[in-house]
Amino acid sequence: MTPPTKQSFRDFLQRLEEAGELRRLKKGVDARHVSGLMAQVREASFFEQVIGYPEWRVVGALVSTRRRLALGMACAESEIATRFEEGIRRPVEPRLVRDAPCQEVVWEGDAADLTRLPIPLMHVKDGGPYISGTLVVSKDPEYGRNVGSYRMMYRTPRETGIDLVSPSDMRVYYQRALDQGRPLPIAVAVGVHPYELLAAAYKAPIDIDEFAIAGGLHGAPVDLVRCRTVDLEVPADAELVLEGELLPIGWTADEGPFGEFSHITGEVKWNPIFRVRAITHRRDPIFYVLQMPWENDWLAAPVIEAAGLQALRVASVQPVAIRAPVGSCCYWSLIASIKKRPGEGKNALLALLSVAEVKLAIVTDEDIDIYDPDELDWALTFRVQADQDVLIVPGARGKHIDPSVRADLLGKGGLPTTAKLGIDATIPEGVPKSHYERLRYFAKDAVRLEDYL
Amino acid sequence: MSELATRIVEELRQRPRQFSEVVEAHLDVAWREFLYAWGEVRSADVLERDDAGRYRVRTGP
Repeated sequence: MTPPTKQSFRDFLQRLEEAGELRRLKKGVDARHVSGLMAQVREASFFEQVIGYPEWRVVGALVSTRRRLALGMACAESEIATRFEEGIRRPVEPRLVRDAPCQEVVWEGDAADLTRLPIPLMHVKDGGPYISGTLVVSKDPEYGRNVGSYRMMYRTPRETGIDLVSPSDMRVYYQRALDQGRPLPIAVAVGVHPYELLAAAYKAPIDIDEFAIAGGLHGAPVDLVRCRTVDLEVPADAELVLEGELLPIGWTADEGPFGEFSHITGEVKWNPIFRVRAITHRRDPIFYVLQMPWENDWLAAPVIEAAGLQALRVASVQPVAIRAPVGSCCYWSLIASIKKRPGEGKNALLALLSVAEVKLAIVTDEDIDIYDPDELDWALTFRVQADQDVLIVPGARGKHIDPSVRADLLGKGGLPTTAKLGIDATIPEGVPKSHYERLRYFAKDAVRLEDYL
Repeated sequence: MSELATRIVEELRQRPRQFSEVVEAHLDVAWREFLYAWGEVRSADVLERDDAGRYRVRTGP
């Protein structure tokens, strides 16, 4: 029997195109204008010619909507969280292959020049051009392989900045290397399937291989190939791979600002420098531009929604549906419908507000379609009494990039707190369900519209 | 340093600029050529950043 094979980045592009979700732009485009153009296209963008980069094509905004993310995950839009949960529950170990499309062309030495890549300038206040859709692989002698996603700002033909400020496993690996005065080898794959990016975004325990999680999402092993100049492995079907090392200089180089996933420009940060040793790519490469903030937001959605489902189950509440709205960057708010027993509206709120930095949670009964804003407004209007159904939890953990936490007043190293708000929009205890019986139109099932057209 | 890199340093010496302003001032130059010149400027280690994230030429030691 032939073993199952995973979907590739190009399979995903094809799927988008077949669904009418990929626009091809045939005229040559300047790399400086790629993001500005993508922002005007409703679909994902495929630039067939890039001025000055005849070998390269550029794609982006691939998962800028829930629909496109769902296409990547081969599920309904309402199922991205459960689909993600299924995948992470059944990890599939990656397998090593010898030949890889991502190494069809190899640039080493002086040829490993980042100016040969069509790296775009994304936002007005960015500190430089950014490589945004990265899958960064590193290794620690004790903990093993780690895969994460980190933005990289172009500095010189051989160097980029890399944002390693937030807590992460690779930050731990880098600190351990730094303590020994040695560089940390890394490999950066660009142009991989969304499942690989989702696995990288997932905060897996430090000893869990994110490639096995990606394999679980695919339902098939991820093929990996050994890098040419560093002792690391990368997805064999990646479009582009940068090999090199994080220099042992600590957090000393300016990096940023960059348009953050909060839809706001961040600050200049102090970060390490990545020095490239080799660049490998496919023979007819496609450069992937992860368009901030939308793609970053939607890649967070299944992770945060799955965490919400898990929190509800731990609280013995039965979830029906959940969504992290993109207005909250798919991160700060969770809306869930539940099969409610008395008191569980409040239990559900407490559970959802315990997830990461979620600061707004809304819970409804199962009859409310939480994907319909009008339905949600209706529930908020008629099932909520503000003095009984609203929870405010002050002093919980916050995040610097939320301006309302006033992190600038905290001084260097200060950690912000935030107040959390929960709204129980379920039918209040003691109010009969019959009071919410919806209007029905007389004879709606007996007459057919098409008979009158 | 190339002529373009020297010009960029001069512009940043006149006043701090966002990276996009530097880019905008040289849209007539091919992107790859601009990136190469920007790399030269960064390698020269003459830049610093202000609170708004703008680049400027360091004046002190």
